[in-house]
Amino acid sequence: MRTGEAWTGEARTGEAPVLHKDGPNSVKPQEPIPHNYPMPRLNAIFAWSALGLLFATGLMVAYDYVRGWKWFQVEFLRIQQQRIEAELTAAQAAANKDQLKALDEQIDQQTMAIAAHRNQYLIAQKELDRQEGRHYAADEDYRFAKAVLDAKRYEAEAANLQKASDRAAKQREFEAMTKRVNDLQLILQQVTRDRDAAKERVNQWLKKIDDAEAKKKDLNAQIDLLTKQLETVDLKRPNNLLLNLPMLDFISPTLKIDQVVLPDLFVDVNYMHIPRVDRCQTCHRAIDRPGFESKKEAARLSAELQKKLDTYQIAAEKRKDTEARIAQLKRIQDAPEDILNPWRTHPRLDLFVGSASKHPLLEFGCTSCHHGQDRATEFGRAGHVPPNPKMEHRWKGTWNVAHRQWGWEENEFNESPMFPRQYYEAGCIKCHSNQVQVNTETDRRTAPGKVAGDDVTKAMQTVELYGCYACHKISTWRFTDLRKPGPDLTGIAEKTTPEWAVRWISEPHDFRSTTRMPSFFYQRNMIGPYVPAGEKAQNIRNQNAEIHAIVAYLFAKSTHRVWQAPPSAGDAARGKALVESVGCLACHVQSEQIKDEKTGEIRLARRDDYPLERNYGFNFTGVGTKTHPAWIYNWIRNPKAYYSEAPMPSLRLTDQEASDITAYLMSLQKPQFMMKRVDAADPKAVHDLAKGYLLNTMSDVDAEAKLKSMSMNDQLVYLGQRSIEKYGCYSCHNIQGFEGLKPIGTELTIEGSKALHLFDFGFVHKYQHESGKTEEVQHNVPSWIYNKVRSPRVYDDQRAKGYNDKLKMPNFHLSEEEARLITMVVAGMTKDMVASNRVAAMDARNRLIEEGRKRVSQHNCRACHIVDGSGRAIAALISDTNFLPPDLTPEGGRAQSPFLFNFLKDPTTMKIRPWLSVRMPTFHFDDQETNALVAYFANEAKAPMFDTTRVANPPAQNIAIGREVFTMLRCSQCHSTAPVNPENPPVPDIANAQSLAPNLTLARVRLRHEWIPDWIRRPGEMIPSTRMPANFPHDNETGGFKSPLAGAIDTPAFATQKAALLPYFHNDEKELRRTMSDAVALTDYLRDYIWSIGIKEMRPAGEGGVTVTPLPSMPAAPAPKTGALEKAPRPVGAGKALPVGVGQAPPPVPGFRPTK
Amino acid sequence: MKKFVSLMFAATMVLAVACGKGKEAESKEEGEDDQAPQTASAPSTAGSAAPAATAAAAPVSADAATLAGTVKFEGAAPKMAAIQMGADPYCQSQHQTPVQDEEVVVGPAGELANVFVYIKNPPAGNYPAPAAPVTLDQKGCRYYPHVSGIQVGQKLSIKNDDATLHNVHAMPSVNSQFNEGQPVQGMVADKTFDKPEVTPFKIKCDVHGWMKSYMAVMPHPFYAVSAPDGKFTIANLPPGTYTLVAWHEKYGQQEQSITVAPKESKAVSFTFKG
Repeated sequence: MRTGEAWTGEARTGEAPVLHKDGPNSVKPQEPIPHNYPMPRLNAIFAWSALGLLFATGLMVAYDYVRGWKWFQVEFLRIQQQRIEAELTAAQAAANKDQLKALDEQIDQQTMAIAAHRNQYLIAQKELDRQEGRHYAADEDYRFAKAVLDAKRYEAEAANLQKASDRAAKQREFEAMTKRVNDLQLILQQVTRDRDAAKERVNQWLKKIDDAEAKKKDLNAQIDLLTKQLETVDLKRPNNLLLNLPMLDFISPTLKIDQVVLPDLFVDVNYMHIPRVDRCQTCHRAIDRPGFESKKEAARLSAELQKKLDTYQIAAEKRKDTEARIAQLKRIQDAPEDILNPWRTHPRLDLFVGSASKHPLLEFGCTSCHHGQDRATEFGRAGHVPPNPKMEHRWKGTWNVAHRQWGWEENEFNESPMFPRQYYEAGCIKCHSNQVQVNTETDRRTAPGKVAGDDVTKAMQTVELYGCYACHKISTWRFTDLRKPGPDLTGIAEKTTPEWAVRWISEPHDFRSTTRMPSFFYQRNMIGPYVPAGEKAQNIRNQNAEIHAIVAYLFAKSTHRVWQAPPSAGDAARGKALVESVGCLACHVQSEQIKDEKTGEIRLARRDDYPLERNYGFNFTGVGTKTHPAWIYNWIRNPKAYYSEAPMPSLRLTDQEASDITAYLMSLQKPQFMMKRVDAADPKAVHDLAKGYLLNTMSDVDAEAKLKSMSMNDQLVYLGQRSIEKYGCYSCHNIQGFEGLKPIGTELTIEGSKALHLFDFGFVHKYQHESGKTEEVQHNVPSWIYNKVRSPRVYDDQRAKGYNDKLKMPNFHLSEEEARLITMVVAGMTKDMVASNRVAAMDARNRLIEEGRKRVSQHNCRACHIVDGSGRAIAALISDTNFLPPDLTPEGGRAQSPFLFNFLKDPTTMKIRPWLSVRMPTFHFDDQETNALVAYFANEAKAPMFDTTRVANPPAQNIAIGREVFTMLRCSQCHSTAPVNPENPPVPDIANAQSLAPNLTLARVRLRHEWIPDWIRRPGEMIPSTRMPANFPHDNETGGFKSPLAGAIDTPAFATQKAALLPYFHNDEKELRRTMSDAVALTDYLRDYIWSIGIKEMRPAGEGGVTVTPLPSMPAAPAPKTGALEKAPRPVGAGKALPVGVGQAPPPVPGFRPTK
Repeated sequence: MKKFVSLMFAATMVLAVACGKGKEAESKEEGEDDQAPQTASAPSTAGSAAPAATAAAAPVSADAATLAGTVKFEGAAPKMAAIQMGADPYCQSQHQTPVQDEEVVVGPAGELANVFVYIKNPPAGNYPAPAAPVTLDQKGCRYYPHVSGIQVGQKLSIKNDDATLHNVHAMPSVNSQFNEGQPVQGMVADKTFDKPEVTPFKIKCDVHGWMKSYMAVMPHPFYAVSAPDGKFTIANLPPGTYTLVAWHEKYGQQEQSITVAPKESKAVSFTFKG
């Protein structure tokens, strides 16, 4: 032991020679090697550190081995195993035991029979063996000889070519060989026959056994399959255990990461696009596998499939599979436990993820729609976002599977976290922003309830209706080229009074609870709970000054055309009846009161009490208080005269009708609104606010001087202009002096990709919404947007901001659902790039369709019509389906394009259903717009726009047969065939219960040639609940149609027709009967007859039946006068209230005085 | 090396144990992703209740009781308008005297006809559809019967006895709608309904606006329609307590709870007020 001594190189080298001094044979015991350190201790250190390292390695292996996703896979295998075992038990129970037993007996019997005749069997077997030997030999001889023949042929050919001396010998050899081969072939044939005969003899013994074995295998196929499946999923099987062992699991583990690579749907990693690699299925195991649906989805799906079966939408050969699938779904519904995520099948496999769907997993992956970190395999890192605070709280708990806690942490650096569940459909927008209607392929008639994609469609429609695009630029096709959502204000003085306007702007909802005009003033950040009392009073004065200023500006700049008064007083009762019958209520609602469906109480209506279409026009409530008879009269006669871009169409009202409706609308008064307290503008507030603006460009002294030179009204007008600029009123309304200005709001085109830190959450975590509900703000983008649109000024809470720096977004008083839909659109608008082949509806045909759909949405066609299977809001008001406007779903295939063009331009060219009281309005479509609509309908039906069938002249014989069929089917019981004036056909006697069906002489110019027979065959499939009966019902057995005339032609009732028809069939009764049972032939004959009686031309489109009223005269510039505001009951002092208009009628009309 | 192998073994064992524990946790695991786990047991109980409904068909027991009831109408019977059949001369020719609407048919002593009466909570059991079809006749441009019931899967034969066109437009809300034309006299169309729909739905003829009939699709045979004398009978009812529902096309529906003893012939009555 030389502990403590320093080790030196010399010490060692010095001793070394000593070791070898005595040579190799020295027996002298070796001296221990001298060490400068204690060896045993060192050994111990090495041993422990080696062990430590080994342990660390073990830990590393273990850490690498134990992954969260593996647990999900193991669990899924367990679910699968459970299910397969259950199915196996069921299959074994269901197995036809008797049959299997009979087969076993058959095998046994035959084995016994063979044993009984053992000798015979052995002889036969021996003979077969001998024959097999002979056959083998003969076959070999023949093959060898054939090979030699090829050689001989070559030799003979070569010798011949080279003119060799032995060429004759070679030729002989070749011929001899040919003969030998032929002989051998004959022998082989004979031997083969012998062998086959011997085989047959043996088979006589074995055939029964073989057959029975084959049948057994068929019967057990299902069980065998399940057993095999069980082998792969049962982790306890040795091979599965071995493959998944740590360190060995690199070879071919059964638990492994699953991924799909998507080169078209790249991930943008700044300056570079890399392919998306989705690993979601690593845990979401059953995402593309049917059979693991939730109970809810299983119920939905089985109902849908059943309906498809019932309505003949499933091909005959697929009916069986569909029935099996329904049975599977029923089993899922009856199972004791619901399958939970992440092991569920994706809903709607026919649309998403499924390999036959529009979005197969291998092409679209998961994160391209859902967002999230594509390559992550851990719950938190993948970018799961909790949809609500409650779930967030649960997710955050330490990993505890039983409580579904995943140890989730918010990851602020994830650039594209997933959309929370309520915004899933935001993912659609990336590729579908070119569409008005996202999903038109799902048949609404068979899909019960909401169709996938309806939410996005409705969300985009909501954004359109509220006009979000007007203040916030959205540069996608869907939200460009739209009109300004608000009414034109360049003629406001012709329509209403400043007194009304001031009150309206202060709080539009006080006038109409359903209005879409948002509230700009007296909002949360001005008078809310966090505003100090002193500031609040000043804010109120400022807001009031701004309101008065805006009104002063609008009225100062307004035109003053004088509108002609209604020619007669009009009858309000008749007017009400007209409003309720001609179709006004398709777009307008006439009352603010509604009976609550749940509580049964009468309450103020909300927008979402009505379908979107009925919110298109304003609510009639109080319209008499807002405006005056002359304006209403002229507006309803021809809205375009007041404002050339007015969305309201003309209903071609007569003078009397317009007067009556005017009288009715004027009777809708809301006097209490005009009694609302309004203070006059506080001169100091006006002065200070105006000065604030002036100071931007001039010095304090100059500003003061300038203001001194201005009258109070001038100051108001100046402040008004500035305030309109500040609040962006011009974004939604046409206002003189603001033409061409950029919209006020933030551009939203890629708002969904904005990083989280760029959103100003202020100090808000929880707040009380104006509805009284407590809202929580989660730290993610959709939650920020949701709360922004729900309560636009909330992020100013507890902030110290100057008056003009406060948030200005107005309050739309959105319901939770409306806010959700709008959030969905905004969150969905991302900068994600998508290869063009992945963008929806990009082909020429679909572009035409979408252009048309955009117009359908803009003009609110769905208020009256069903288009693409949805719409017809007016149906809620008309109980008798006989009097509903037509369903346009099949319109493209139904109507000829020239007719459609004419009719859309001018609906007076033809009255198809003269009994309807609802009128097709004249929309004043220009040619381009009309073409867009016509092209849309035709393309949607995949029908040509123009064709030659219109001039088709059916042969006389077809017409004659058609006429008889027409009589026999009694079509004339409903359809008239008498010639009529297409513009004004007689109205049938409705009271007399006459069935109402279009006059058939109008069919030829209107309907497509090929559509008529198709319609007669299957009307209910084209328009469900049509009154047109199916005269040729479906034949379930053949898949075709049954004809009612098949047997009936021989009945005495049709003797006359039979006699008339026979000559056309060469007096061949058989042929006649065959035709009478052929639905396709009969309907073609019917069409030919209908074609033959039709008119051939219709009047070209004219003015659309709208009487063009002479333009109102422009009066000479109104005499400058003090503004109406000052004329109105003057407030006594600032802050002191005075009801305006108490006991006074609104000022007389026309000729409102502007403020000047 | 030996040490390494044994260590590896130990690690594997540890892992195996860990995995085993994981399994235990799995099997306990239940609870919908949306909900807290405590509240998630509801669906499973609902699931276990299901098989009870599919118990074997109950044969008509010797104890079966019979319900014999009457439906009365209280108040002045509304006068039904005479149907104008002028639109179709054939229909008019079939009737010598004007035909009354059948919406409310009240007898001389206030008996109410055409009331559909059924048991809302039938005794458990399978009720196969009877082989005999239900017929719906169109004769003289009227439907016979005006109100009827049919069992799920039972054949409905719709017959046109008129030499005019009728269309049979059935407007169920649960079952599939159909609308078929019957232009030929004597034509019969056969239909079945595959789902129960206990509130009667309308069947109408679009050609003749006055023609209306109502039909309910029942999952069991315990239903009846009151006759012109207001009487109805529901037979073969096993003893028990039931909710009896009476439905009228104009006056809506009423319910009453009844208890029948074995072999009892129970009298019940409903009264609709005008």
